[in-house]
Amino acid sequence: MRIVVAEDLFLLRGGIVGLLEAHGHEVVGTAATGPETLDALLAHRPDVAIVDVRMPPTNTDEGLVAALEARRQVPGLPVLVLSQHVEQLYARELLADQAGGVGYLLKDRVFDADQFLDALERVAAGGTALDPTVVAKLLARPAAGTRLSALTERERSVLALMAEGLSNAAIAEKLFLSEGAISKYTTTTFDKLGIHDDGAANRRVLAVLAYLNESDA
Amino acid sequence: MDSTGSADRERGAMMRAIRSWLFAAGTGFARSLIFAASALLVPILCAVLPVLAALHRFGRVWDWTNPWSWVGMLLLVAVFTLVGARPLGTFVRRLLARWSATSIDAGYRSRETDPVPVLLATGYWWNGHSYERSRRDAERDQLWRRRIGDPAYWRDVRWVLRAAITVGPVCAVPVAALVGGIVAFAHPSVLAVAVGVLLVALTLTTSPLAWRVVRPLAERWLRPQDGGVLGERVRQLEQQRLDLTAAQAAEIRRIERNLHDGAQARLVAVGLSLATAEKLMDTDPERAKVLLREAREGTSESLGELRNLVRGVNPPVLVERGLVEAIRALALDSGLNVHVDPVRRVPLEAPIEAALYFGVAELLANAAKYTPTARVDVRIRRTATTVEIEVVDDGPGGATITPGGGLDGIRRRVAAFDGTLTLASPVGGPTRSTIVIPCESS
Repeated sequence: MRIVVAEDLFLLRGGIVGLLEAHGHEVVGTAATGPETLDALLAHRPDVAIVDVRMPPTNTDEGLVAALEARRQVPGLPVLVLSQHVEQLYARELLADQAGGVGYLLKDRVFDADQFLDALERVAAGGTALDPTVVAKLLARPAAGTRLSALTERERSVLALMAEGLSNAAIAEKLFLSEGAISKYTTTTFDKLGIHDDGAANRRVLAVLAYLNESDA
Repeated sequence: MDSTGSADRERGAMMRAIRSWLFAAGTGFARSLIFAASALLVPILCAVLPVLAALHRFGRVWDWTNPWSWVGMLLLVAVFTLVGARPLGTFVRRLLARWSATSIDAGYRSRETDPVPVLLATGYWWNGHSYERSRRDAERDQLWRRRIGDPAYWRDVRWVLRAAITVGPVCAVPVAALVGGIVAFAHPSVLAVAVGVLLVALTLTTSPLAWRVVRPLAERWLRPQDGGVLGERVRQLEQQRLDLTAAQAAEIRRIERNLHDGAQARLVAVGLSLATAEKLMDTDPERAKVLLREAREGTSESLGELRNLVRGVNPPVLVERGLVEAIRALALDSGLNVHVDPVRRVPLEAPIEAALYFGVAELLANAAKYTPTARVDVRIRRTATTVEIEVVDDGPGGATITPGGGLDGIRRRVAAFDGTLTLASPVGGPTRSTIVIPCESS
């Protein structure tokens, strides 16, 4: 894959680039500030970009702003946002356009190279990769709470993994269940929540996220 | 037997009473004399020139018809008052501390409040007020500025003038009466003797009492005044500083303990795992792999702990997005049905933002704890001089601020910025908490 890495800390940027190249990916551009990130994203149109939230010049949410702006100009441009902390607030902003190709993970997730690359590939393919911490917070939303409380423990954990962006096969592997069992769970879950399941994995995840992302009315 | 015994006892009691009265009169006389002398020093000095003139000691040094004589006299009095004020004030305070156990704080400015003179590149010494050629000059200049500018010193000056017309005449009564009595006795006439007896009696009766007039007057005029509004403000600021220092110390302790028991300990464990894994790499690769995984998990966990710590010290969203967005993030995480108004950014100083953020966090946590299903409205208002955050929930109400509790913590935290927390929580709800912090909009 052709990847852009936007990260202001030199050591981390080097580490991520090294990791990606070790796995046979091509890093087509790097950026260390917000404006550079936006330029790199628009110039290279990478298969996927890895973007840090906090970057110079303001050291606030430059990276996130750049990623959102790039996706506004190029809808669905795959971006995986990395941060030292995850916020529902930012997750909602990233998911708001419902275009897919979005990831939002804690930086520590790069420790597990396989899972990290898996998430990266998912995002590149138009899927989603949400950090479990964010998903846990989304599931605790009161707006969703009323109907979520009707779910069984197992259905909840399937929903959580789905919200993270995992496919049925991956969920099955994680929970030591068969894929058939998982699809049964997803069907019942969708019925209970009233989500329309049109089968396509990415769209399904987006539906789940849209449901969880409902504004608190 | 009995009657003579009781008479003896009565006589003994009377003797003791008379003796103690005489003793009191004696010490009182001495004290009155000393206070009178200290208070009348200036009037006496006033009289020096005219008296000298009257005695023709140094020729005509003073003549009441010559205006320059008056100027000279006033000059003399002024100089003696200004020079003598501090020693006299100190003298009276010391005597009162010894004789009536009344401690009156002088309240002089101390050396510590002045900056230490620094040698500038120009070769001059800067003492905070002026440039001087040498360190000694700089310090002397500082000393004079400190002394002359000290309100406590001017209080002493005023005391000298006031004491001359209050303490002086009163304390002089026993002494004057005794002198008058002695003079009267010198005249061999019945009337003079009668007057003399009366005057001595006056001395004896007023001696134990006269000097006591000093204490209330000194307490009123020599003690640093509270300064009314300003004094109140100073006390308030001192309290705020104390609260702030205590809060800061507690926070630092918390951070230290967290780091020590958390991340630090974990990193040691990670290091150990790595060292062992290195050793086992060749002989037992399987165990080495397990150890490596453990090490990785350890770093993950310490990162998590550090993240929580950072969140408690200075929440990242606050840094990245400012107060309103940070409160929206709080609202999202609270699990409550929260409505935040407005959505636009409200620029504020970072410490005030943090105080407000943690205040709202505490209020939302309270709401989540007691009325998890309530609807909560957070309203942020910025006026020209204040920032105001109102958190209203439609829960059952009945909340109170208990000392040492979470709400009290908010109150103290915002008090450091002269802010207030008001709570209106009638039983049956709604609960309305308002934090107001004064700050000029920039």
